[in-house]
Amino acid sequence: MEEWRQVFYHAMNMFNVLIVSYFFLANGTYTLLMIFSLVSVWVHNRRLGYLTADDLRESPVTPPATIIMPAWNEQEVIVESVRSIMRTDYPNLEIIVVDDGSTDDSLNRLVNAFRLIKMDLIYRPRLATKAVRGIYVNPRLPNLVVISKDNGGKPDALNVGINICRTPYFCTLDADCILERDALLRLMRPIVKSPENTVASGGIVRILNGCEVQDGKVVNVSMPKGAIERFQVVEYLRSFLFGRTGWDLVGGTLIVSGAFAVFHRETVIEAGGFLHDTVTEDMDLIVQIHRWAVHHKRKIKMSFTSDPVCWTECPAKMGMLGRQRRRWQMGLCQTLWKSSEMLFNSKFKAVGMLSFPFHLYVEALGSMVEFLGYFMVPLALMFGMVPVPLFIMFVVLSLVYGSFLSVGSVLLEELTYRRYPSVRDLMILLVYAVLENIGYRQVVLYYRVQGVMKFIFGFRQWEKVTHLGATP
Amino acid sequence: MPFLIENIYEVVLAIIIFVLLGTGALVILTIARRQRRDKYFQRIDDLRQRYSPVIASILAQKIEYERGLEILRGISGMDRDYALEHLCLEKKPTPDQVPTLRKLCEDLGLVKLWQLRLRGGLDVASIRDALGRPEGVIQRVGTLSFLSRAKAADNLGIIKHQPSWKLLVRALGDPHADVQAIAVRSLASIQEPESFASLVSRLQEIIQKPSETLSLRTVKTALVSFPLSQMSALLPSLRHTHRRVRFFATDIIREVVERQAAWEEDFVLDAKNFPAELTEVFLESLAFDENPDVRARSSAVIANLSDARSTPVLLTLLEDAQWFVRMHAVRAMAKRKFLSQAPQVARRLTDSHWTVREAGARTLLVFGRVGSEQLAQHFLSTEDRYSREQIADEMQRAGLVPTLIAQYGAEREGASTRVIDLMVQMGKTSYLIWAIENNPSPEVRKKFLVHFGEEPDPQIRTWVSHVASTDADAALRTLAGELIRIPEPRRGEG
Repeated sequence: MEEWRQVFYHAMNMFNVLIVSYFFLANGTYTLLMIFSLVSVWVHNRRLGYLTADDLRESPVTPPATIIMPAWNEQEVIVESVRSIMRTDYPNLEIIVVDDGSTDDSLNRLVNAFRLIKMDLIYRPRLATKAVRGIYVNPRLPNLVVISKDNGGKPDALNVGINICRTPYFCTLDADCILERDALLRLMRPIVKSPENTVASGGIVRILNGCEVQDGKVVNVSMPKGAIERFQVVEYLRSFLFGRTGWDLVGGTLIVSGAFAVFHRETVIEAGGFLHDTVTEDMDLIVQIHRWAVHHKRKIKMSFTSDPVCWTECPAKMGMLGRQRRRWQMGLCQTLWKSSEMLFNSKFKAVGMLSFPFHLYVEALGSMVEFLGYFMVPLALMFGMVPVPLFIMFVVLSLVYGSFLSVGSVLLEELTYRRYPSVRDLMILLVYAVLENIGYRQVVLYYRVQGVMKFIFGFRQWEKVTHLGATP
Repeated sequence: MPFLIENIYEVVLAIIIFVLLGTGALVILTIARRQRRDKYFQRIDDLRQRYSPVIASILAQKIEYERGLEILRGISGMDRDYALEHLCLEKKPTPDQVPTLRKLCEDLGLVKLWQLRLRGGLDVASIRDALGRPEGVIQRVGTLSFLSRAKAADNLGIIKHQPSWKLLVRALGDPHADVQAIAVRSLASIQEPESFASLVSRLQEIIQKPSETLSLRTVKTALVSFPLSQMSALLPSLRHTHRRVRFFATDIIREVVERQAAWEEDFVLDAKNFPAELTEVFLESLAFDENPDVRARSSAVIANLSDARSTPVLLTLLEDAQWFVRMHAVRAMAKRKFLSQAPQVARRLTDSHWTVREAGARTLLVFGRVGSEQLAQHFLSTEDRYSREQIADEMQRAGLVPTLIAQYGAEREGASTRVIDLMVQMGKTSYLIWAIENNPSPEVRKKFLVHFGEEPDPQIRTWVSHVASTDADAALRTLAGELIRIPEPRRGEG
């Protein structure tokens, strides 16, 4: 019996060491990323004084690009979304909408709105996809193509778009997103201006809930009304403004949001296109491109820029938030699991040595450690293994540190883009940044743990997140 | 044994206090920043309200220049120069406003300031600015001073300050990538002929030894913005031993020529606008270059030459071993002046590469009626399935099907009927059905029904059923009804 007691105590001690290490590793990395990003985003914001989009718009060497918009049962937003992207400020732009076997009226609404005609055109499948049912074109709108296909999921729809796409670069855009007019030009800047071979470029995704939209354009930015949405605004700021910027700065970009990103078409095709074996096809593609580049000895660059903005609707209800976060976490685990060769592999440079381990140990497995911590540390407390004052201090520290990071992201926003013009909204942001770690963080953690469990037990299906229709 | 380290309480408590203080500091910074920015924008708005109409009037020459200048000189404050720069360059000037704006910036002392900043010198205005805006000093000292140099280079380009071109050429060697790139852009804006050679030499350097700071595209963008008259300076590059140097030089001329051709309807390259030496290089050397990319890009320039040798050279390129050379040559021939070459272009409809077939079909469509006839003739006569598919594709994309249906309605067993028949056999019926449904004439629908109503194509069968049940014309409904009752389609039996 005494032996078992010793084993138990030993295990508990080990776990306590683990959770303290996790705390310092995660928060230490986040703090470093925040410091890097504060400098980087501030400098980039200053650079915007001379890095205008004019030269790209007017230059004959700006490469043509295609926006690929996969859509499944998006009848409420699809026509307005297409109208909105048709107003995108970009020379030589093509738009491909892929209707992924919608069971609603999405296709008919597109056909009627844009007077599209079904044509029997040649389809050359360089990437294997489900069958294409029809290609719809209006000869008077030659830069818009709508494709109807058998349902095969978002990656399959994107692959159909890539097969039809004729331009060297394509931009993936979700059907419920609104692009700022010059966002694509700004997103293309790192590709056009960099002397390195930039094959992927990601921009910032901001939350549309609470904003006023007119004619497919965000005309008034304000904070949403619901607490869940407000917490997500803070989360997105943290994730995009200092998370991705920081990783980009050290050359460790591992995630580019598929809701809005530009890719080099040939590279994507050579890397195998969007695969179906994960539920986060965007991250999966980035990892796949990194692997392809290392295996084929290609020197490539991925870029993240904080000024091209795409607005998207976030879940307004807990159920939908749960679906989204479970999917993200499961996809993260799937992608990291199948690309384990990258872990601490110096061939992948910063991605293999820093970013991949961080995403594996902190973002993926860390959620389990943190979740278990909520049970194990009180257990240790009960058994007298941790003194009560220390336990309380540690809880306070973790909450305070979380708030510190969230407030840091609000400051970063205020130092640079100031998208929320009203003082009231700024105050709300600060309050929610402080409160985010009490309650909301734990709920999201619970969903993330569910995502990990789903990965472990082999679930694969995509949980559809439905929106309330903030976009008209 | 509980996990403890010496003085852990003190350590954790210290961290908590430190983080709490840090969070508080961040909150205060955020609020203070908001207040300061609001104040700043208020001042800018105020200045804008008072002085933007003055600047607009000066640029529109609605008030006397000297009077306007005096008013603007009245702006004071620590951030005077920053505010003036902001007000003057707030809106992109139109080409006719540029000379006045340039003079205004010179007279206000802004140009000297920008030149000094581009040189990396410290100026009184910067010190003043630093006292007024802490950010100002960050931007002008140490590693971040490139922000100031790049902005200065940008401003000189916006006002097309020709005397600054040498300074901008010097900035091509700046240690920071942004300053180099903005200097290139400003040189392109100023278009000083003498700076062209510097840009070309920078291009050559980057091609031969890739730069870590400046992209080829940036330099190329600048070079293509120069006028056609400058292109003879590329002659040494066209003859360069490095194949990529030749390629970029050829491609730059192609861009310039194509831009000019898009502006002028009857544009041709002749002795007046294109030196004989360049013509010779294109016709005698580049069209036969060992680098296929050079051959490909040369075709667009050759197609615009008035020289009689250009057509035979293009026809040679049409038969090139590399598919993309053939594709570029076919695309280059998409001009009415090559109408007589339609049969040669039509031969490319059976090319082994689909992009060449596609380019061939599109070029023929540019030829108008002659090209369309050629296309239809080829469509009917060829045995090449891929060629037929490509032509059917282009006819649909170009929206020719309704015209085809209209011609079909008006003719007796002519080419249109045969083209439609072939499209039906190929299963290309979606657009045909749409065109028939949208043709107002019941006679055309009847004719189509009689001709094709028994075809096994599922879309035709659906359409016939639709006509049988919903068409406004009773005779058509009856006819369609009879056709739909036929158990097995006749063609299917055979």
